[in-house]
Amino acid sequence: MEHLGLSLALFGAALAAALAGIGSAIGIGVAGGAAAGVMTEDPNKFGSCLILQALPGTQGIYGLLIAFFVLNKLGLLGGAGAVALTWNQGLQILASCLPIAVVGWYSAIWQGKTSAASIQMISKKPEAMGKAIILPAMVETYAVLALLTSILMLMGVQVG
Amino acid sequence: MGVARLKKAELYYHKSVHEQIAAVLQESGACQIISTSEETFTPPADIEALIAKTDEKLSDVRYLTRTLTPHYVDPVPALDRMLGERPDVTMTELEELAAKTDLKAVCEKTRETERETGDVRVKLSEARMNVSLLSALSFFPYPLSVITEGTRTVTGLTGTIKAANISGFKAALGDFSKYKDDSELIIAPYDEKAQDVYAAVIYSRAIEPEIREVCAKNGLSLVEIPASLTGTPDEEKEKFTASVSELEAKEAELGRKMAEIAQANVPTVQKLSDYYNSLANRYNGMASSDETASTMLTKFWVPAEKADSLRQSIEAIGTDIELTYSAPAPDEEPPSLLNNGDTVRPFNILTELYSSPKYRGIDPTPLLAPFFWIFFGMCLGDAGYALVVCGTILWVFRKYKKIAPGVKDFIKLFLFCSVSTFIYGVISGSFFGNFIDSFLPPLIPLKNALMLVDPMTNPMQVLGISLLLGVIHLMFGLLIACYDKLRHGEFIDALGNDLSWFLLIVGLCLYGVGLGGMLPPHFIQVGGGMAGLGAVIIFIYAGKGEPNWFKKIINGFLALYGSTSYLGDILSYSRLLALGFGSAVIGMVINLLGGLAADIPYIGWLIAVVVIIGGHIFSIAINILGSFVHPLRLQYVEFFGKFYTGGGEPFTPLTLSQEYVNVRS
Repeated sequence: MEHLGLSLALFGAALAAALAGIGSAIGIGVAGGAAAGVMTEDPNKFGSCLILQALPGTQGIYGLLIAFFVLNKLGLLGGAGAVALTWNQGLQILASCLPIAVVGWYSAIWQGKTSAASIQMISKKPEAMGKAIILPAMVETYAVLALLTSILMLMGVQVG
Repeated sequence: MGVARLKKAELYYHKSVHEQIAAVLQESGACQIISTSEETFTPPADIEALIAKTDEKLSDVRYLTRTLTPHYVDPVPALDRMLGERPDVTMTELEELAAKTDLKAVCEKTRETERETGDVRVKLSEARMNVSLLSALSFFPYPLSVITEGTRTVTGLTGTIKAANISGFKAALGDFSKYKDDSELIIAPYDEKAQDVYAAVIYSRAIEPEIREVCAKNGLSLVEIPASLTGTPDEEKEKFTASVSELEAKEAELGRKMAEIAQANVPTVQKLSDYYNSLANRYNGMASSDETASTMLTKFWVPAEKADSLRQSIEAIGTDIELTYSAPAPDEEPPSLLNNGDTVRPFNILTELYSSPKYRGIDPTPLLAPFFWIFFGMCLGDAGYALVVCGTILWVFRKYKKIAPGVKDFIKLFLFCSVSTFIYGVISGSFFGNFIDSFLPPLIPLKNALMLVDPMTNPMQVLGISLLLGVIHLMFGLLIACYDKLRHGEFIDALGNDLSWFLLIVGLCLYGVGLGGMLPPHFIQVGGGMAGLGAVIIFIYAGKGEPNWFKKIINGFLALYGSTSYLGDILSYSRLLALGFGSAVIGMVINLLGGLAADIPYIGWLIAVVVIIGGHIFSIAINILGSFVHPLRLQYVEFFGKFYTGGGEPFTPLTLSQEYVNVRS
């Protein structure tokens, strides 16, 4: 049982990177479908479509960021070797990963849907690009808040 | 500063000079023609004739652009073109070019080539189809004329059949004992798994109906062979294979011809496209003019500061012209043109992306500019990234001298913001993430000496700063709303809607900070007093105009409950910490990966360099997007929510079309 703490913490890092990554993949996929549809009509919209499609991608990066944060905290990056962790500390790290894992997952999917709708919007009104970017960004707010929560929680957990 | 003052111009002129007038108005780029709202209005006949003539030319230009552009190889890279590397021409030069260019002839040549290409393609696809059909029929030993023409007594048919049905089909034909010798079944070589197998039946004409019935019953689906095929399949195939390669050569030849036409004509067509589009804009704009038998009247808006120079250029045309300027009437809603100095102008785009202000409204651009500048800096927050962005932009400005003003302003926005990014990067100790700590240890003391905040070890400090900036931003918004209401004489609303909340929130903040011991204790009383006063005003104001006392009280409490939305607004600024943190940690991760890669023997350093450079470029791109979008959201949602609705009509002057060339005056 001596490695349970480490396993729990790694499980948290895995959840953060995996769930947020899945969410971003779905979100970008949904937006990409809409972008491809718009570009069949007007290939010149590639630039604006790409920006809108990229918006739901940040959750995956936030998840990765938290995963790296955890790995760094555990001493698994570089040759230093893992720090000793009680199962309680491991569970705390797992809990800290949950906000970005769950919120990243869902918010990226919904942000992708909003991005897809925004892409449809700029196909009819290219001049509304500013508004089209803001709508998906409204969804991302909650991913940013979750990221912040995860970071603050992780910083609070004492290890080693 | 703010929304430019406009004048309403009424221009009366003799019909003989209407083309010169139109040209002057358009080339000034400062006149928005006021279009008529009367439904029964008919444009002056002279102008309608010009529109019709231009439309005819435009349809040729559009046809050529659409057809030739895919064949055209632009010697100027697309990025250079976007940054203004395009031919410089004057309208006079364009006019001369238009006069000497025979668009009809180019169109004719293009259409001819297009038609020939189409014909060749039809023939080619026919020939290819025949080749594949003939390959499938290669099992057939006789000339195909047996099937396509037949002899006096014998004819035949071909089709495909499922492998599983073949034995049944054979048996059914065999059962025709009476006709056994009058038919022959030939089946292509096949294996048992094959889906569709080619088969041919040759039979006496006398039994045609019976044979066709047997074929239909056994699932033979007929394949028509073109009547022109008469030789054996192999002979015919050889013929068509030769014709396919011949046609392919011809198609390639026509493609080259099209490319030649494109290369020779597209630059001219692009110039003419701008020319005729300019003319179309011009005449469509002038179509709102009123006319009498010999005069015309055009009304337009012009910025007050350009009114005099415009008058000079118009009066230079002739003497039969009368131009009067007047201030917009109170019931008129002129378009709005943002008029800001060099420092604020790059931020105009942020306001315009939301919605232009009303003509008599407040221009929020100078108000949001400093906040956007700071917020962007905090979100990107890296001195190294700032240097890269700044260096790239300065290089672009040095290399490209002809960037269009709008594009240049947008790039300048990032140049300005790279300064705040650099400052915040220095005071938060971020240079390409933790590059200094990882790879340049001698510089650590310098970095630490300049650091004022440390989000990595003390995030609460930066969170506090973010939220404080949020409070300042929101309160500033409330004060602007208050000022705007006072300007219009709405004293009660200013007090109840804006000032009261200002008192409540600032009071609460002072109270809290006082309790926390960060300010002298009498701030607790001052803050408490302000907050109490604010709350009382909000409570009373919410019940205003409600006769029922009970409802008055309910409304009052509901209004106070609205303070939760302020809480949400303020917490929203925590994203400044989170995004700044995000860029710092992504940078850190990249350096870490680079460091790990460096341990790989022999080529490790190379991989490390690639990882670090590529990673940071990616990080800059993704973080700029976030650092643009999120501060913008803080302006649009939190800040504008307090005082700004926009809703103005943007000023859209009559201008020259400059899609492909720069038109100089």
